[in-house]
Amino acid sequence: MMALDLSQNKHADVSYDEKERLFDEVKADDRWQHVLYGCYECGICVAACPSARFYDFSPRVIAQAVAREDVDLIYTLMSDSIWDCSQCFSCDRCPRQNSPGQIITIMREVAVKNGLQTAKEALEGYGRIIYKIMSTGSQVSPDMLQPDAFPDWGTHVYEIAENLEEWRKALPPETLHTTETGWKVDQKTIIELYLIWHMTGVMDLIEGVDEGLFMILVDVMEERLEEAGYDDITFD
Amino acid sequence: MAHEEVKGCVILKDLHYSVQDNTWVKADGDIVTIGMTDIAQSLAGPILHAKTKGVGTSRKKGRPIATVESGKWVGPVKSPVAGEIVEVNEGLASDAQLINRSPYKDGWVVKMKADNLAVDLSELTTGDAAVAAYKEKIEQDGIECSHIDDTDTYD
Repeated sequence: MMALDLSQNKHADVSYDEKERLFDEVKADDRWQHVLYGCYECGICVAACPSARFYDFSPRVIAQAVAREDVDLIYTLMSDSIWDCSQCFSCDRCPRQNSPGQIITIMREVAVKNGLQTAKEALEGYGRIIYKIMSTGSQVSPDMLQPDAFPDWGTHVYEIAENLEEWRKALPPETLHTTETGWKVDQKTIIELYLIWHMTGVMDLIEGVDEGLFMILVDVMEERLEEAGYDDITFD
Repeated sequence: MAHEEVKGCVILKDLHYSVQDNTWVKADGDIVTIGMTDIAQSLAGPILHAKTKGVGTSRKKGRPIATVESGKWVGPVKSPVAGEIVEVNEGLASDAQLINRSPYKDGWVVKMKADNLAVDLSELTTGDAAVAAYKEKIEQDGIECSHIDDTDTYD
């Protein structure tokens, strides 16, 4: 009888050694010792998980796959299922103190660091948000409320998009009279952020996942850093 | 102007294209006008901001000459030639959707003085070859172009 293969052999083109290397990178993470202890199969994590209600997703499958060190299945999950998690950590109520959510955090980081195609696809839709956060320090900006980005809002979003400046001016604090950023961001804050991105190597991660995004971020950052007197800092 | 339409996407035959980066070039002496293709504007959707690099900026081929943001996308316009920006389309600052409505005319992005125009042009695609290359790309990526109101027509 053939052994049950939950990975469905979806990634037979990737060598076992490569899959094992990626899992070793997950296990080498400092947080690894604190996120997985064993599984009763009680299903409390699944019951608490909002993503499990809406997607073909189960935090228990994640915890069990890594506990069993099922390298093929782990790669399959890294290429698909881990991107269904909403990272709300409702699963942290595990009686064994497992944290499927944090296991996924580590798996996602490894997927991004290694430039996995599925990581690129999963993050594609977030390009503009990453650009906003990293270039301006403010995350969701009012001008993201566009009809093509929020079709589920119906006609209301047309009205908002068309009269955005007026809506924003109606807000009492002047620091919120912005449309391109969520609020007026201080120059000092921005420069500090850029220096943090530079020191921590975050830009190398971005370059691996989205070269176009990397290019335009570097352009903005190097220009503003130079204006602030940091003309010796480059990201390339 | 001779053009062809594939799945609603307009391709002008007299322009030179970087098919991969979805940009076009029109040469006038060693000054080239650069813009985004109809396919690029369609993939981006209605554009909110198009920020060009300043006049005097030197760019290598493939480096960004502008950043374009739409509701769902942000990305660079990559220079199809090496050279120096000599003029930018000032109209884009107040009306970035010029790129959507008129990608090949009023929505041009920058003009550059090319360092090595003959070499750069020879690496771009034009005429029937460009139409064939775009046909393949459109088919492969399942692209279908869409246009906002008051878009240029080509007869």
